[in-house]
Amino acid sequence: MIERTEILAGIKKLPAFSTTVVRLSELVNDAEAGPGEFEAVVQPDMALTANLLRMANSAYFGLSRRIGSAREAITLLGVRRVFELGAMAAVDAVVPETLPGYGIDASVFWTHSVAVAVIAERLSKERKLATPMLTFTAGLLHDVGKLVISSFLAERIEALRTGLASGDTSLIDCEQNLLGADHAQIGAELGLVWNLPQEVVQVIACHHAPDVANEGRGDVMVDLVHAADCLSHSMGFGADVGGMHRQVDDVAIARLGLRHIDLEHVASRALPEIEGLSQFGRAQKKGTGA
Amino acid sequence: MSLITVDIADLKTSADPDAVIVTYALGSCIAVIVYDPVRKAGGMIHYMLPMSETSPEKAKERPAMFADTGIPLLFHTMYEMGCKKTDLIVKAAGGGALYDDHGHFAIGQRNYTILRKMFWKAGVMIAAEDVGGAKSRTARLFIATGRCTINSVGEESEL
Repeated sequence: MIERTEILAGIKKLPAFSTTVVRLSELVNDAEAGPGEFEAVVQPDMALTANLLRMANSAYFGLSRRIGSAREAITLLGVRRVFELGAMAAVDAVVPETLPGYGIDASVFWTHSVAVAVIAERLSKERKLATPMLTFTAGLLHDVGKLVISSFLAERIEALRTGLASGDTSLIDCEQNLLGADHAQIGAELGLVWNLPQEVVQVIACHHAPDVANEGRGDVMVDLVHAADCLSHSMGFGADVGGMHRQVDDVAIARLGLRHIDLEHVASRALPEIEGLSQFGRAQKKGTGA
Repeated sequence: MSLITVDIADLKTSADPDAVIVTYALGSCIAVIVYDPVRKAGGMIHYMLPMSETSPEKAKERPAMFADTGIPLLFHTMYEMGCKKTDLIVKAAGGGALYDDHGHFAIGQRNYTILRKMFWKAGVMIAAEDVGGAKSRTARLFIATGRCTINSVGEESEL
């Protein structure tokens, strides 16, 4: 078991999350906000602007001309995409080189985060739902609690492996058994410290337990990220010490009305986008995992 | 030793005795591994989904994404290298499953079912397999010897 004071100390050790991106996440949900307001928030953040331009000018987006300002990026890619790229840059900046408690390096964590973000949006489109604006961001951030508890798990890695090998205990239950806390719970605490929007904090808190979201009434963004997390692990993005020891929530899948044909269709469409966007991380794929 | 990595929805072959073909992080995906001990050549596919009808246009771009378009392509690539079907040793790994009581994500099982059907129709025997369970796997094929290994959660086993 770990003490709360240890967890809070672990949270303090992490780099701060981009306040620019937190401000942008408020703006995307504000129907009154226009491109000019986005630009006014992005422009003063030189590191974020530089990162945005690097991504926007990459071959992946195939723009016909080189762009040199946040304004041009917003005009050509749209507010939503620019915000999503900003969120990617912000998450990329806080991922450490390794997560020893999960037996993975940054590239596996990063690619899984991007995969869940991409798949969550695509599942929503597949079911023709009104995709909540923060779906991609919530997908990117769903596992941030792992950044905090990785070091605590690393001290108990053998017990974790034994727990997983012994039968039908999911990774998150093993975390609870060993630490008295899990990455969803701790991630939500981290989200509060980072001032993330409340609906994103709820996704982080409930992505393994969609049944408790909104006091049991459920939440479409939680359901989408839960389903995307499951599909991402099926596709092999995020292979860590927990392998496939993850519980699918039937109610969440039923609420979304997802059939296997939808999941397979989304998987086939999402793959090139995951490959394209994950290359923007500092840690390129090194082929670790399993 | 040269390492040849097979990505998701990808296939590679080699007749270089120094080469090791590897694929990482097989979740529900399946790796089919073929080896010709006569010509000391081998190949591996890492397919993600069972049927190309899910996305015919993706199957054209990346046939190795699907079992029904990728597995025949793997065998034909081996034949083009001079291998004979009767010499090929065929192994399979992957097809893992989440904790999924209602089988919503039974992609691994569907991937395995189509594999068995295709091999039954084509008269191909599976020499060894490590399939199913809540495992994520890494598969390696050593071209010099035909040795296959599977790594899962830090443990290595022979296939």
